[in-house]
Amino acid sequence: MTDKNKQDPRLPDETFEPYEEPRRIPMPVYWIAIALAIWGVVMLVQMSYSTKIGDKERASMSDQEVAATTPVKAEPKPDAGKALFADNCASCHGDAGEGVADAIPPLHASDVVKAGGASAITHIVMRGIGGPLIVDKANYDGEMPSFASVLDDKDIASIANFVASDLNGLKSTVTPAQVAEIRTASADLNPWDGGSGLAGLINGLPAQPASETAPAPSPDAAATAALAMHGTNEIWSCASCHGDKGEGTQTIPRLAGLAPAYLAKQLHDFKEGTRINDSMDYVVKSLSDKQIIELANYYGAMSSPSGARPSLEGDLARGEKIALEGDWTKNVPACFTCHGPSGIGVGDKFPGLAAQQPAYIAHQLAMWQGGSRHNSPLGLMAGIGKSLSDADRRAVADYLASLPPAAANAKLALAVSATTKETSNGQ
Amino acid sequence: MANKHPSDIPPPGPDNAERGQTALRAIYAISGGLALVVLGSLVVDFGWAPSWLTGQKSAPVAQVKGEKTDLFTPPDERTIPNDDFGASVRRGMAIFNQTGTNAHEFVGNDLSCSNCHLDAGRQAYSAPMWAAYPVYPKYRGKNKMVNTMEDRIHGCFTYSMNAQGSPSGGPPPYGSDVYRDLQAYFFWMSKGLPIGVQPEGAGFGKIDKPAKDPSRERGAEVFAANCAVCHGDDGMGQTDANGKQIFPPLWGPHSFNWGAGMHKVSSAAAFIQHNMPLSQPGKLSVQDAWDVAAFIDSKPRPKDPRQTDGISLQEADKKWHKSSADFYGETVDGVVLGTGYPKDAGASQSN
Ligand code: HEC
Ligand code: HEC
Ligand code: HEC
Repeated sequence: MTDKNKQDPRLPDETFEPYEEPRRIPMPVYWIAIALAIWGVVMLVQMSYSTKIGDKERASMSDQEVAATTPVKAEPKPDAGKALFADNCASCHGDAGEGVADAIPPLHASDVVKAGGASAITHIVMRGIGGPLIVDKANYDGEMPSFASVLDDKDIASIANFVASDLNGLKSTVTPAQVAEIRTASADLNPWDGGSGLAGLINGLPAQPASETAPAPSPDAAATAALAMHGTNEIWSCASCHGDKGEGTQTIPRLAGLAPAYLAKQLHDFKEGTRINDSMDYVVKSLSDKQIIELANYYGAMSSPSGARPSLEGDLARGEKIALEGDWTKNVPACFTCHGPSGIGVGDKFPGLAAQQPAYIAHQLAMWQGGSRHNSPLGLMAGIGKSLSDADRRAVADYLASLPPAAANAKLALAVSATTKETSNGQ
Repeated sequence: MANKHPSDIPPPGPDNAERGQTALRAIYAISGGLALVVLGSLVVDFGWAPSWLTGQKSAPVAQVKGEKTDLFTPPDERTIPNDDFGASVRRGMAIFNQTGTNAHEFVGNDLSCSNCHLDAGRQAYSAPMWAAYPVYPKYRGKNKMVNTMEDRIHGCFTYSMNAQGSPSGGPPPYGSDVYRDLQAYFFWMSKGLPIGVQPEGAGFGKIDKPAKDPSRERGAEVFAANCAVCHGDDGMGQTDANGKQIFPPLWGPHSFNWGAGMHKVSSAAAFIQHNMPLSQPGKLSVQDAWDVAAFIDSKPRPKDPRQTDGISLQEADKKWHKSSADFYGETVDGVVLGTGYPKDAGASQSN
């Protein structure tokens, strides 16, 4: 293009309308614009292609599902009980109900089940059972959690019928309506007190050992309960955040049934600043060492129903796989190899995860990933937090929220006399 | 254009030369754009683009140095067929993971196969079963004969599972279903691997020689700092509230005996460096791994079952423990190692 200013040099300057030369857009801008346009078109085509594939897959999947379910139609799926057993009972009682030698009684060919039938199974699943028990002449002394807060009547009926018929060859069955009656009758009752507790329930129960005497409540129990529920002038009430039954909510954790030593360690970590949280940093400031132990024992001994439900839209099947098998390609062992079968916790250092609030779990895993929680022994959780994607964190948190809360374990209580020093704030 | 009325021609319109230039510019622009697209896709393809741009997460593979990552992936347990063969595979898997329950008669300690063969025998460098199955039968110097897979498992029960202390007093008799089901499980897991070729990931992997001779004193510190959280200060492992063994005992009456492969310091060091602490493979240095392996080896455990009546500890030491540098027959902290336990104290027989 020629310079237009020079076209008519006679025009007076005053009338000259200044205008900018239509300057050319630099070449690279065209390049980028065209590249973007091509990329856009490619993406569009790709996306519509993959949705098409996805649609096809979904269509064929639902075809398969229809094919798989049509023959059984109206009747409940015969495999429902089996699948529910695998999801809820197998992590302790074994895939085939074989139990674990010296730890968990078998459910296949169990003489307790044989004597009590589907109704006794329902009673046990509803309340849980703990304490000395003899099954098939072998001694057990464990703690089975109550499933009342995580399974509905229909599911419990399916499981009880599966255990009675498929694992023990019994004819006895329960209906969801009967399960509902047992639920009402069991409300607020403690777990069955071992084999001796079952004596009134099951006719012809094989001989059972005497129950253990419950440890006497600590003399300060009432004072500790008052502290937890109502707080004092300096100390906020724990229940105001953690709930009356220590069940937690959202990103505030469930405390009920966690090992006292674990709870006490966390409280000390907040106090020493090795674990950081604005609320808890403030709360622990005025707690004496003695109060920490008493509160830890108080919550550790508390059995309360689950206050958690899957709520993060996590993929439960994926969550179950991570919890039971892990994802070793990312160096994530099964969560239960450290946190115990069904997430009931192990000893003092590996807290229970069952029925923990899913938002809290996902949040803690994210904090380990980001490095803002770094108080786990050996940094064990830091590596695991880093290896899990956001979707995996939500999946496993939701799965754990679907599990029954572990029964409180009185044996883990801390000795209050172990207190070495009272802090200046101690009362 | 020539027929057009002059007023139709836009006055400032470009002349012919300009038009040619515009066309040229268009060609430049388009080819430049194309070149950019090609370049961009190349960059993404070769993985040179930063992950924040592509949105792809680079998999965090904790690499033990010098090892390959293209390892065999055994099939998912959900693909075990629902037929009689599958039932045997499932029984084998159950025996593998809860040996003391599902092969109760033949287990004389508190271990399961899966305590050392992690992830149900699937984890590379923790002697995965898919890497063993294709290379049997095989000649083994340990018993100087060709071993079938059944012979091999017989050996595992004899030593690693301390069968001498089991209810039956020995390993499963040859021909037992225990072997059948375990082999079905291994066979199912190895599907697709070539026969007779040792796959990458076999055994416990290699470990370099340590710079300094392994020291049980240094090892004690490594143990307290890295192992005791799970295995306990006393090495006895931990159980859950129901009494189920969660973390395995590393020594003492309920652990593997003096004939087990894991009692060799070199094997234990390789296993530890590649697998421990759980979820943090490669965390311990080569030296730390050797030191802590020596520390574990310097503790008492059930006796070597080959040392039967009439064979003294010294003879047994010479016969079976000379080639491997171990603590068998030595006196550590006033305890003569290798004598085992009296029957009432634990699983093993007295000596
Ligand atoms: C956290 C592990 C755990 C889970 C999960 C579990 N149980 Fe139990 N179960 C136990 C323990 C431990 C005992 C023995 C309690 C005792 O020693 O008093 C037991 C005992 C029983 C008994 C009575 C003894 C027997 O073997 O006949 C029945 C019946 C039973 N469980 C059924 C179930 C069913 C059904 C489910 C699934 C809904 C289930 N359990 C889930 C641990 C568990
Ligand atoms: C203002 C609300 C609030 C109050 C009051 C409160 N907490 Fe907390 N607590 C929290 C939150 C939020 C967390 C989670 C911290 C985090 O995200 O790391 C927490 C965590 C904890 C933990 C760690 C639990 C775990 O599973 O690791 C313990 C233990 C605990 N609180 C005990 C107490 C006790 C005891 C009291 C009463 C003296 C109390 N809290 C009062 C909000 C509160
Ligand atoms: C190698 C052992 C190990 C494995 C495997 C493991 N954890 Fe943990 N986890 C721990 C230890 C130890 C702690 C206690 C941390 C502390 O004391 O601060 C813990 C604590 C936690 C907590 C905090 C609980 C609370 O009340 O604050 C969560 C949540 C958790 N783990 C989730 C998981 C999940 C999910 C998995 C599986 C993906 C998993 N863990 C696997 C060892 C393990």
